[in-house]
Amino acid sequence: MDIQLKRGLLDVCVLAAIKDKDSYGYQIIKDMKPYLSLSESTLYTILKRLETAGMLTVRSAEHDGRLRKYYHITDSGIARIEEFKEDWKEILSIYRFVVKEEENE
Amino acid sequence: MNKQAFLEQLRRGLRGLPQEDIEERLNFYSEMIDDRIEEGLSEAEAVAAIGTVGDVVSQILAETPLTRLVKEKIKPKSPINPWVVVLLILGFPLWFPILAAVFAIILAAYIVVWSVIISLWAVFVSLIAALLGGVFSAACNAVCGRILAALSMLAIALLSAGAAILMFFVCLAATRFVIWVTKKIAVGIKHMLIGKETV
Repeated sequence: MDIQLKRGLLDVCVLAAIKDKDSYGYQIIKDMKPYLSLSESTLYTILKRLETAGMLTVRSAEHDGRLRKYYHITDSGIARIEEFKEDWKEILSIYRFVVKEEENE
Repeated sequence: MNKQAFLEQLRRGLRGLPQEDIEERLNFYSEMIDDRIEEGLSEAEAVAAIGTVGDVVSQILAETPLTRLVKEKIKPKSPINPWVVVLLILGFPLWFPILAAVFAIILAAYIVVWSVIISLWAVFVSLIAALLGGVFSAACNAVCGRILAALSMLAIALLSAGAAILMFFVCLAATRFVIWVTKKIAVGIKHMLIGKETV
């Protein structure tokens, strides 16, 4: 898959994983596992990128005697998901057009 | 491998990155391992799930911008020997011009390469200008009734248009090539800075 496309998809997937409830690293990986496998290093980079872009915030909370980082989506993160949905409506209609062309050949 | 050993090896592998980056990364991996253990995996299994230290280091290196690596590299790690300082000051008239010259040569080489690219694009732009000029001049001549002159001007305009189209692809290919070479060199420099310290 095109690397730029994949990067965009991963960003939105991570945002979706923290959309309803704050989540932490391992939970995000587990939630995404059925759809796409994600290495820890890649997740780290994505989280960092989203944090820099202001789409999520990070807080450390104690869990079982150790610190765990929880990620919280911001308004601009939610806006990004909405934007993604709009974009993909368009892409899907183009896809249907392309597939139809092929079937007619 | 246990968690402690994994994190120690990772720390060694990441030497060369800014200290705060290393700490943050290590905390992240430590949390990941702890969470897996909490879920019922053994410590060794939890560590193995992360991958090998070498793989993790390569991936982190690929994602770190060159400027961060360089900034960290030029920070002195141990106190400098006073004699080294004396030598540096006494030798200043000698090493500074040499260093400056080396940088100037590298910079000059880079500028030369880009000059070629710019001149290629300049040819492209002038061909477009010739096209527009030719069309304009043809129109003027046609209005004044000089048909022969108008036709020859139109021919020149068409020739320029053809040449411009060819030139565009040449320019594009040359620009892409230089950007590609620049990227290759950047990755090469990154490996010189950190590669030898990876496990």
